[in-house]
Amino acid sequence: MLFKASLAALVVLVFSGVGAQAQMASGHDADTAAIKQFVAGFADTWNNHDARGVAAHYVEDGDFTSIKGEPSHGRKELEDHYTTIFSTFLKNAHTTDTVKTIRFLGPDLASVDLDWLVNEPSAPGGVLRKGLLTWVLTKRNGQWMILVYHEFSF
Amino acid sequence: MISNRMKTALAIFLFLAFASVGAWAQMGSSMDADSAAIKQSVAAWSAAWNSHDAHATAMKYTEDGDFTNTTGIPSHGWKALEDHYNEIFTTFLKDAHRTDSVRSIRFLNADTASVDIDWQMTGAKTRDGKDVPIRKGLLTWIVTKHNGEWMIAIYHETAF
Repeated sequence: MLFKASLAALVVLVFSGVGAQAQMASGHDADTAAIKQFVAGFADTWNNHDARGVAAHYVEDGDFTSIKGEPSHGRKELEDHYTTIFSTFLKNAHTTDTVKTIRFLGPDLASVDLDWLVNEPSAPGGVLRKGLLTWVLTKRNGQWMILVYHEFSF
Repeated sequence: MISNRMKTALAIFLFLAFASVGAWAQMGSSMDADSAAIKQSVAAWSAAWNSHDAHATAMKYTEDGDFTNTTGIPSHGWKALEDHYNEIFTTFLKDAHRTDSVRSIRFLNADTASVDIDWQMTGAKTRDGKDVPIRKGLLTWIVTKHNGEWMIAIYHETAF
């Protein structure tokens, strides 16, 4: 009985490994679509200047680093950061984030590059930032979330 | 006979249980070793860069490594990476010297990590040949472990 059970456990372990490999390729299309949806949701929340909502797109211990290299770590600091920017120099700003590339690093890990444009009425030509966002995303309970966020202004 | 089977089953269960507990326990201590190994990889990359050895610099990436420069222009794979480094080492960064210091390492899984590196550069010129007193900024790498060696999978850089 115990023997059969352990044999079954071994078979399950071996096959789940093989299955995971096979699933990875077909799962990428669905994950790519889910990631694009996540990015669109992030931009909408950002454009509503909802600091708490934006911070909730990160994992609990998420990392953000600004264009000047200043870090914010964890939901509390992230929310504070977004509250500050949305009530000061980005009060009237609007972001447009377009997925450029997605590179999967594992079944639940992806590196995403996004073309980044921030419009702000008082900025020269209405463009405050233009550059690249680079995110490391992880899938938690079926939901993609931001693990590490960097931004680059050209 | 049954007791032999039970012994085998028990042995398999114990092995599986200990292997997984062991893997967890090992993760903490191996992270120190991996952090040290990653710092070593960064130092080796810096040294190759400072020797202006385009081939050696490119070889610190994985074969399908991705580099994106401070203006968002990408290079993909060893060939394109080596061409990129050849170009910069023979033109505006011919006399440049860089200093890189690891600021933070975040492990994403057992063989993948995100690394932030503060960088500074002296001796650089602009594309049109003017001296740049000092350049500095942040490198953000995704590194992956291959046969015990940490290599650059994805490289982004920003200048402040």
